[in-house]
Amino acid sequence: MIETICTYDGRDDLLIAYLYDEIDTADRAAFSAHISGCGRCTRELAALRGVRSTLWAWAPPEPRVITDYHPVSSDSRATTHEPPAGRSWHDVPAWAQVAAALLVLGVSLGIANVDVRRDNAGWTLRTGWSRVPSQNAVALPATPVSAPWRADLTSLERQLRTELQAMSATARAVPAAAPATMSDAELQRRVRTIIDESERRQERELALRVAEVVKDVNAQRQADLVKIDRSLGFIQTSTYGEQMKQRELVNYLLKVSQKQ
Amino acid sequence: MFGSSRAEKVSAYSMTWSDEELVARSIGGDPDSFNQLVLRWERPIYALAYRVIGREEDARDVCQETFLRAFRALNGFRGQAKFSSWLYRIALNLCRDWVRRERRTPVVQAPDDLDALELSAVREPTTSIDDLVARRELTHIVERAMAKLPEDQRTAIILKEYHELTFQEIADLVGCPLSTVKTRLYQGLAVLRRELAKSES
Repeated sequence: MIETICTYDGRDDLLIAYLYDEIDTADRAAFSAHISGCGRCTRELAALRGVRSTLWAWAPPEPRVITDYHPVSSDSRATTHEPPAGRSWHDVPAWAQVAAALLVLGVSLGIANVDVRRDNAGWTLRTGWSRVPSQNAVALPATPVSAPWRADLTSLERQLRTELQAMSATARAVPAAAPATMSDAELQRRVRTIIDESERRQERELALRVAEVVKDVNAQRQADLVKIDRSLGFIQTSTYGEQMKQRELVNYLLKVSQKQ
Repeated sequence: MFGSSRAEKVSAYSMTWSDEELVARSIGGDPDSFNQLVLRWERPIYALAYRVIGREEDARDVCQETFLRAFRALNGFRGQAKFSSWLYRIALNLCRDWVRRERRTPVVQAPDDLDALELSAVREPTTSIDDLVARRELTHIVERAMAKLPEDQRTAIILKEYHELTFQEIADLVGCPLSTVKTRLYQGLAVLRRELAKSES
């Protein structure tokens, strides 16, 4: 296709100004009139609008944590170059963070009814929120294996609550009636919510990954088919060429033998 | 960090004070005003940094450093330009420094674990998996096309398309004539048009 040339004065700048609607009224009217009669400008304008709409697909990832600035006095601005302190997990000692993680993990496993067994069929891992423990399991006394970690967990939970209560009381100077204690049911409910959310997210993520893999496999399959097709074509061509050569050679040999 | 109480405070401030007023109050010693400015502008600044340098972690660092520098220099801000333009300028300079320091062309690489998934979870819970995959592919295509652009064209397009600055604001920000901004936009879009057409084919 032969592209026509547009010689409108200052055409590229005007096209951009028109595209972004940053053009004064007189120029807009004149350029509109020009566009209606200029195929090249009409096509280019449509193409650039298409580019702009495609660009909107590019969204940056949602920031997880960017900044956490806290009220700072003008004095500190003048004297310090340290970033303002963040109110976050960084305020909690490392051991407390680890303990909290272990606590959540332990409680999660407890709530999730995680059941690991080994029988003739091999290892079995079961989980389930709604699974009712069997009567046998209920009837059994606490096993020596499970008892120590439960005791540890309880003491850890108690210690953590004490620490957090102390920190909370210091930081906010709230009377002892503050909501520092949390019932087990509430704790379980919160952990369950967190785990539910996590599961939902993982399911969506898995589905996305699977869809991507399927798409990739299909694309690869298509590419392989095209490759195979090309290879077959090449083989057919070369086979035909070989046959022709052999035929010519046989003909030549026949001619030579007839002459002799 | 985006807790409800803070969000409520922000919205209350957002309704009440302009950027310039918050700057003045911050200089005057109001401890909360600068926080409101940060909360108001951190996402746009992060988005700018991410699109220019293309790495989430580094974009976050640039974003933090931008506000830190702004905070330190707040006393010197006289309101000749808009606060947002001033902030954009700091961020762009930091991005340029980053590109020079790393000595590499900014190539956007969306981290594997992010993104459309999380965005959709927050904004469009009904988006199908196919849509997400398609969107992610399109994102990669746009990223690759943008990576082909020279820095000046890329910056002009980012500021225009995603931050909706006027030609004059971009010219003031990057320090070039207004006509140069238009030329950069035209040339940049033309390159993108070619690159996107290649991807489609």
